[in-house]
Amino acid sequence: MTNSRYRIVAALILAAALAAADLLAQAAPLPNRADSLKFAAIGDNGTGDRPQYEVAQQMTKVHATFPFDLVIMLGDNMYGGQSPSDYVKKFEQPYAALLAAGVKFQASIGNHDRPDQVSYKPYNMNGQRYYTYARNNVRFFALDSNQMDQRQLQWIDTSLKNAREDWKICYFHHPLYSNAARHGAAIDLRVLLEPIFVRNGVNVVFSGHDHVYERIKPQKGIYYFVSGAGGQLRKGNMDPSDETAASFDRDQSFMAVEVAGSEMYFESISRTGQIVDSGVIRRQTRTND
Amino acid sequence: MTDDQRRIRRWRFSFPHLSRFALEHLLLLPLGAAVALVWANVRPESYYRVTYAIAFAVNDVAMVFFFALMTKEVVEATAPGGVLHPGRRAWPPVVASIGATVVPALLYFRAIDVLEEPMLSVGWPVSFATDLAFGYFIARVIFGLHPAIPFLILLAIASDLLGFLALALFNPLQELHLAAGALIMAVAIGLAFALRRAGVRSFWPYLIVAGSVSWFALFWSGLHPALALVPILPFLPHAARDPGFFVDARPSARDALSQFEVFWRYPVQLTLFFFGLVNAGVPLRALEPGTWALPIAVIIGKPIGVLLGVGAALAAGLHLPHKVGWRELIVVSFTAAIGFTFGLFIGTALLPAGQLRSETSMGVLLSLIGAPLAFVAAKLLRVGRFGR
Repeated sequence: MTNSRYRIVAALILAAALAAADLLAQAAPLPNRADSLKFAAIGDNGTGDRPQYEVAQQMTKVHATFPFDLVIMLGDNMYGGQSPSDYVKKFEQPYAALLAAGVKFQASIGNHDRPDQVSYKPYNMNGQRYYTYARNNVRFFALDSNQMDQRQLQWIDTSLKNAREDWKICYFHHPLYSNAARHGAAIDLRVLLEPIFVRNGVNVVFSGHDHVYERIKPQKGIYYFVSGAGGQLRKGNMDPSDETAASFDRDQSFMAVEVAGSEMYFESISRTGQIVDSGVIRRQTRTND
Repeated sequence: MTDDQRRIRRWRFSFPHLSRFALEHLLLLPLGAAVALVWANVRPESYYRVTYAIAFAVNDVAMVFFFALMTKEVVEATAPGGVLHPGRRAWPPVVASIGATVVPALLYFRAIDVLEEPMLSVGWPVSFATDLAFGYFIARVIFGLHPAIPFLILLAIASDLLGFLALALFNPLQELHLAAGALIMAVAIGLAFALRRAGVRSFWPYLIVAGSVSWFALFWSGLHPALALVPILPFLPHAARDPGFFVDARPSARDALSQFEVFWRYPVQLTLFFFGLVNAGVPLRALEPGTWALPIAVIIGKPIGVLLGVGAALAAGLHLPHKVGWRELIVVSFTAAIGFTFGLFIGTALLPAGQLRSETSMGVLLSLIGAPLAFVAAKLLRVGRFGR
């Protein structure tokens, strides 16, 4: 056998091994229980470019086996033009299969969004910059981190206090913790929001803005995720620190999440379908539990 | 005497006064802003904890006295001999102020679209702002004593008044209770009027009685309470003649308005330091291209707007002051692009904590580019001290 033949065989074996590893990674399942809450999270998605469509296709693929009926949008839902045709190109077309399957999108707004997005019906914001809703044993709070005014702060404090569900999940655009080099943490917001979250027993926070995926080690008992690569990507932008539990900045990604009783399972899935991070969070015990 | 000798003499004549003015009026605010910029980027958590804790005391209470001193300048300038007297002089710059606000605002909307940050649209009233003290200083250095100075002052006052109006009417986050506020304000003005009629010569009763009620009226109505003394100051007894714009009152002055200035002059400088500290701390990593929307809008928009506005004023039969032509107007309009104190004030009143405020504050700081541009324009157009 000549050297070149050896090389071809070696390459074939390597490719087969990689494919198998990829298959195994994809096969790592969420529990996918019948009565659990299943949802997906996307951030910084609305480019209208090919990668956004490919992430959307991957979401549709996942939906076939993991039938989530909710997508939380972490802001920057649309970049550039935001005319009616842009809403089609950057939202309705890429997610057409999910919308047709009855999946509900619940948006929060980012700095690249137009203020009037809050009235776009498929985003289900009902004209509100910030709002809350409950699914199963989870209460979600979508905030407007562009403008953290006193009224919103009072609203989130009171709403969190009054929430009776087992899980309290907040999501908004600007991350309170992030180790991406471009933006990093919004510390001006962290100083305002973190005491409220800690005081009221928030379990998990999802944000976007930095175009990467990052899972932060629990901070004051709260789990933070940055998932801002649903269409945009800032390749190689992660600058992990001691806070970083896991990160991925090589490709676009989205998250699939399942809340089953007192456990929350999560996967971060790349544009090509690779599971780049996964795990389970046990619901934190609160003083008022 | 040669041109050079004349120029040197002019420098010598104006520089001691202006350097003292700069030292007393212009130093502490930039110092506060510089400290804020460094602190917010080196130790952001402690910066925000401290500044959030004192923001209300600085922005809503202490700044009352800054705007009171600005009002005092205007009240005196409208007295006989003042730069704004008689009132008909005011019309060309007032008409120009419409162009100087509308054009930058339109450009601002276009810029945030091009820079893909439409959420910044709420900040458009900031593009109206013109800094009075900074603009005055730059214009004095360029022009010396020249009719372009009162033109600039009037342009700035009219633009800022339009900015305050826009802030009151188009603040999406503020709930207005104007009827109740107007009622309480009427009481405040009535009290000030009664004090004046009673011949009260000390400024303290005006400040404590009428000023407090006025502050509460604005606070209650949802308008910015830092303007509380603006409607009260005109009732303070003042000298019959204007000592000059930004000319400090003598400590021996007996009238209430001068005494007010003598008492509050230095506390206000300290206030401006804290104002810069509280409002100019911008995390540089938070900035996006949208930050440039404001400087682009004012640097391009103010000159175009002023020239269009003046064109409209001339078409309507008004006349420019003697020695003020198109070249002087271009230089004046670059000076008017500097938003600084007034820009930061409107920006922080309009935008709560978050990225939009950070970008707007940095945009306001970048509008200081107007100062070197005014010098370059003056040199190229041979205006003021650069003239033959």
